[in-house]
Amino acid sequence: MGETALVSEFRLAGKQPPHFTNQSIIKVEAFGKSYRKTVAVSDVNLEVRRGQLYGLLGPDGAGKSSLMKAVAGVMSFEAGNVGVFDVRLDSEAASETIKDRIGFMPQGLGLNLYPELSVEENIDFFARLRLVPEHELFERKQQLLAMTRLAPFRNRLMKKLSGGMKQKLGLICTLIHEPELLILDEPTTGVDPVSRRDFWIILSNLVRERGITALVTTAYMDEASRFHRISLMYEGKVLAEGEPERVCEMAEGSVVMLKSASQTQAIEVLRQVFPQVQPEGNWIRLFVDGAKAEEAVLQTRDAMGELTVNRVHAEETELEDAFTALLRHKGLTSLDEETTLGSVNMETNTESLNGIGIEALELTKNFGEFTAVDRVSFKVAEGEIFGLLGANGAGKTTVIKVLTGIMPASRGSGNVAGANLTHLGRAIKQRIGYMSQQFSLYTDLTVVENILLYAGIYGLRPVEARARCDWICTMAGLHSHINERTSRLPVGMRQRLALGCALVHRPRVLFLDEPTSGIDPIGRQRFWKILFQLSREEGVTVLVTTHYMSEAEHCDHLVLMHAGRLVADASPEVLKQEVETEVGRILELDSPHAKHALEHLAANGFNNPVMFGKHIHVWSKYPESDVVRISDLLGLEHAAIRVRDLSMDDVFVHRIRSLERPVSTVTEELMS
Amino acid sequence: MKLRRALVVAQKEVSEIVRDRIYCALAFLLPVVLMLVFGYGLTQEVQNIPLVIVDNDRSAQSRDYANRFIESRYFEFKGYVSSVRAAEPLLLDGDVRAVIVLPALFQERLVSGLPVDIQTFVDGTFTYRLRTIDGYLQAINQAVSGELQSQYLARTTGVSNERAQQALQPLRVETRYLYNQELREIWSIAPALIMFVLTLTAPLLMALSVVREKETGTIYNIYASTITRAEYLAGKLLPNVIVSFINGILLVLIAVWYFGAPLKGDVLFFLVAMFVYVVWATSLGLLISVIVRTQMAATMVTVVLVMVFVMQFSGMMIPVSSMTGANNAIAHSIAAMYFNDVVTHTFLKSGGLEASWREFVALILLMTSFVSFGFLLFHKRSKS
Repeated sequence: MGETALVSEFRLAGKQPPHFTNQSIIKVEAFGKSYRKTVAVSDVNLEVRRGQLYGLLGPDGAGKSSLMKAVAGVMSFEAGNVGVFDVRLDSEAASETIKDRIGFMPQGLGLNLYPELSVEENIDFFARLRLVPEHELFERKQQLLAMTRLAPFRNRLMKKLSGGMKQKLGLICTLIHEPELLILDEPTTGVDPVSRRDFWIILSNLVRERGITALVTTAYMDEASRFHRISLMYEGKVLAEGEPERVCEMAEGSVVMLKSASQTQAIEVLRQVFPQVQPEGNWIRLFVDGAKAEEAVLQTRDAMGELTVNRVHAEETELEDAFTALLRHKGLTSLDEETTLGSVNMETNTESLNGIGIEALELTKNFGEFTAVDRVSFKVAEGEIFGLLGANGAGKTTVIKVLTGIMPASRGSGNVAGANLTHLGRAIKQRIGYMSQQFSLYTDLTVVENILLYAGIYGLRPVEARARCDWICTMAGLHSHINERTSRLPVGMRQRLALGCALVHRPRVLFLDEPTSGIDPIGRQRFWKILFQLSREEGVTVLVTTHYMSEAEHCDHLVLMHAGRLVADASPEVLKQEVETEVGRILELDSPHAKHALEHLAANGFNNPVMFGKHIHVWSKYPESDVVRISDLLGLEHAAIRVRDLSMDDVFVHRIRSLERPVSTVTEELMS
Repeated sequence: MKLRRALVVAQKEVSEIVRDRIYCALAFLLPVVLMLVFGYGLTQEVQNIPLVIVDNDRSAQSRDYANRFIESRYFEFKGYVSSVRAAEPLLLDGDVRAVIVLPALFQERLVSGLPVDIQTFVDGTFTYRLRTIDGYLQAINQAVSGELQSQYLARTTGVSNERAQQALQPLRVETRYLYNQELREIWSIAPALIMFVLTLTAPLLMALSVVREKETGTIYNIYASTITRAEYLAGKLLPNVIVSFINGILLVLIAVWYFGAPLKGDVLFFLVAMFVYVVWATSLGLLISVIVRTQMAATMVTVVLVMVFVMQFSGMMIPVSSMTGANNAIAHSIAAMYFNDVVTHTFLKSGGLEASWREFVALILLMTSFVSFGFLLFHKRSKS
């Protein structure tokens, strides 16, 4: 019945009906690819059917890009078969035959575009390369530019676009010849949350309306629910495959959230019982293996024993939890040393900072006419984990460079670790640790050599340096690797070493610029565990930037930057509550007639109904009554409508959107 | 092959070259700068050697002798000094490269028919220059003593000066420098430099333009689209060949107008040969771009390869006819040698197709094979 309804709907719209048939578009069997001696991917099997939005998820180095290139017919491989549109891609000649039907966007934001050409020239180039007739090109261009809201910028040079705009232009260029299959490699990496959301809306509309099939990779686990089906990849292997919800269920167990007055103790106690425990702001998030929700809550209460439990409840398993659990269950977690600050005290300078770790007052930084940072003010309490969030180019790194004294501010002032920015630029450097975005380690030196080098730079005496070296190795779990070249360490370990090097002179304030980008969830959790300990046990103030919205939950205090300005400043919980009072929560519903449902919802005044993977999301201020209204309107069962908790992503998208224009107009544009 | 697709690539390429300042400078400024720098650097002629003279005799004869050096265009006379000791600091500072010491009793001894020892000091820090200066000194000295001898003979025997000269020098070598009558080194260097600069910049430009696409990832647009290899390569070669050809013309103009080298031969033939050579050199860049992955590597490989080609196998430094075995074979499989021949012929020997047709055929064959190699090695489905 669903099928017929959809077909008739599309006939009315004058479009080709999408074939939700079982026709297989991509078929990958026992695929394997090696680079010289390194095996990048091995034994991957997957099948993508027509009309599917298929996701490959996994951290850097999981082998996603290799698979994408092989499917796009632009890279040869050693093992297995890759079939696209029933063509076996076993030669260059065979690969050529599918290229008029595919669109491929390689990894790297805007990197496949031509910076010296304008938006329109880029589109024209891609179209003419594909011999798109000029009159069709004109029409498609208008349509796609309007859809992506890039029309006003058609004459702007590509190099002058923002990250989000580059991403959309990349998508237009990939779509201009109307391919049947889209192959998009990490299209959302490094893009701000709003642009990411726009992107997903555009993509899911295309898939739905034109029957396009899409294979998309992402490193963001929280994007999983955008897909119809996913493959979870790790170190060249597929860990799990299926619908996103089913993959989450494959990790048997439940997530429990717990709040306790004695958080640090609680974590220690829980870690003895449960393998997956991590702080999330004031909360503790843990995974109870093999237990259903209520049972898991009971088990958690038991484990807490005497300790006070302020609040506790079970929560839906996120893909990130599932990923970690699956790795554990399959015994794939690297047998890494335990990382702990242990009994070795950091012996930090106990000089008081009067409770203020970092303070920025109206900081402004201009580069020529461009204002990278615009009157930014915030205050970070001593010992707090402070998150600075925003897209690439929002000004995060500039703020850090000004606060660390690497760059002078154009205007404004600040205090860092008790030193005034304007007067004591140099003194600041002794009191802070800084881990830059780029790799600051010398990869040809061993672990110990790197640490001793940094100790030398900060003028530590040899005895002291040895002691610090020991402390760092314990903290970062590097004792069995001390004489290994840094280049041979896995990314996660390298990142912990870099953190150690930033801590060598016992700074009171630590600046970390995107320390976890590209690391797998387990590596990230480890890293955050250390940060948490540093902040709670040593009282180190930590300022960290990240573009993983899920990591924002770990912070005590957040600010969001957008185009050089601060647009939000509070704790994660407060931020969520604020948005909840303003626009309500999100209702998630399944409807067999998605397009119809979306139109109905919009026509009946519901706020911003959009496709979210297979589900429809709609904002609701009064969830209880709205559930009833919607179920009546669409003829759905109450159970088909769920109330979802807001994520940090939701919060930021709302914050930025409300700055740009009222939410409703955006919705209208996107829906039209 | 769809010409339209090739033209789309070519058009994009031109926009990029014109708009990207660094790329534009690399395309048009680098060849000119190289030509000028090397044009000066490679001229090995030694002239205007600073000279001081210590005249301990101060006689008419000694002054006459000294004047022969003072008037020479090879020496720049800095003045008389009182003693060798006084000349020493000048030599040390490099203000003076040669010192001539005329002994006391210079005139007296000459008049009485006794030999005179003249001492010269020459700065020996740079042996090539030393040899040249020494050569000049010997030559001028020889000329003067020859004259003195014939004068003496004429006086003592009563024959005419001319007869005496003939008697003393029964055999005389008279060299005429053909094609470069004024023996100006820049005349022979400037044409060779055109070859050298084109051999370096044309492949560099092409290699960078392909590898840059590999480095950023825009090459995937090509890999993943329906454009064929031939179309892409044609679109890529065309603008790069044109840019390098324009550069070639600029270099010729510099050689003629700035360095004053004569362009005596058939200009039209020369331009055709240069075009063929530029296509060869550009496809050499294409071959390099196939094997390397980064712009850094492309630059290094190109520079090293071209240096070896030019220094060793082009005939610019070492005549190819003196090579044997493998060296000879390599020299003959690289177009640089043939083009160097064409350039020197056209510039200095009034050459044209008639004189250089063998070289021209070789250039065409090499161009065709290099372009074909590039086509065969370039793939739209890479290994990584």
